[in-house]
Amino acid sequence: MENELKQLIIDALDLEDISIDDIDSHEPLFNNGLGLDSIDALELGLAIRKKYDVKIDAEKDDVAKIFSSVSALADYIESVRR
Amino acid sequence: MIVSDFVLRDWGAWAPGLSSSDDWQAWSAGQKSMSAELPGAPASVPKMLQRRLNLLAKAVFHAADHCIKAGEQVPTVFSSTHGEIGKSFRMLKTIDAGEELSPTAFSLSVHNAISGLFSIVYDNQQESTVLAPGMEGIAAAFIEAAGMLSEGRDEVLLVLYDEPLPDFFPFEPFKLNIDVPCALALKIAAAGPGLAMQFYRSPEVRDDGEQPVQLLAFAKFLASGQKSLTLGNQKHSWSWHKR
Repeated sequence: MENELKQLIIDALDLEDISIDDIDSHEPLFNNGLGLDSIDALELGLAIRKKYDVKIDAEKDDVAKIFSSVSALADYIESVRR
Repeated sequence: MIVSDFVLRDWGAWAPGLSSSDDWQAWSAGQKSMSAELPGAPASVPKMLQRRLNLLAKAVFHAADHCIKAGEQVPTVFSSTHGEIGKSFRMLKTIDAGEELSPTAFSLSVHNAISGLFSIVYDNQQESTVLAPGMEGIAAAFIEAAGMLSEGRDEVLLVLYDEPLPDFFPFEPFKLNIDVPCALALKIAAAGPGLAMQFYRSPEVRDDGEQPVQLLAFAKFLASGQKSLTLGNQKHSWSWHKR
């Protein structure tokens, strides 16, 4: 699941020079970690909705926690799909 | 009527196969042709922003890089008849197909998107005007820049760019399409070192089309020994003269 998510991040966000091995599952995705920004968060939200049919609602969900790392994102998607 | 006396500090341009001033000189002398080359990633743009640039935006950065350094503060005038119309058209087709739009594409679909990226890349916090000049062609950007200089700005950077229209749009009877993406950047100043030039209304009645077809004529004028250039679109004509 985590590797699948990493590939989704690379594809959805046009991270051409980055491979799955470059993304640490526990590193922050935004700002200091991978360096993604708020537009990337929206793009990633769309990609996750399309692939997993999981909708992340900025009003209800703790978006900062869900998107804090690949590991956290994988946990959230699995908890919703269960 | 003289609208503006100004000094051309630097200029740069990009079209497929033409990017250095030597390339443009050779092209203007008929010694070099355009190629099918696509603009590469501009070295001035950080990796994480490069993925946000489409072909036209890359062309713009290649041209502008001849005229500005990171951190330099200069007001800008951007001018494009159609903007990134290829991208806009793809988004319209996405909507038509009932699919969700890419938030990234949507966020960069406004006419001042390239100007915004430009201000981030060069950390340029000065005012930026973005025109869609229509019938007035490239002259509109010079009128805007002349206004800024007359208000006391030392320098203004003009950035002019357009790309081919998707086949969906009618080309005729309009003269507003080019075959290749093209970007032209000029840094002009009120005084100081550089090539002294004049910009004025011309009484001639001409039809040189809109900005996309005027860009290459202007690049040729800059790159060659040609002293004057007049461009018009039925109602108004404008002249540039190297003094």
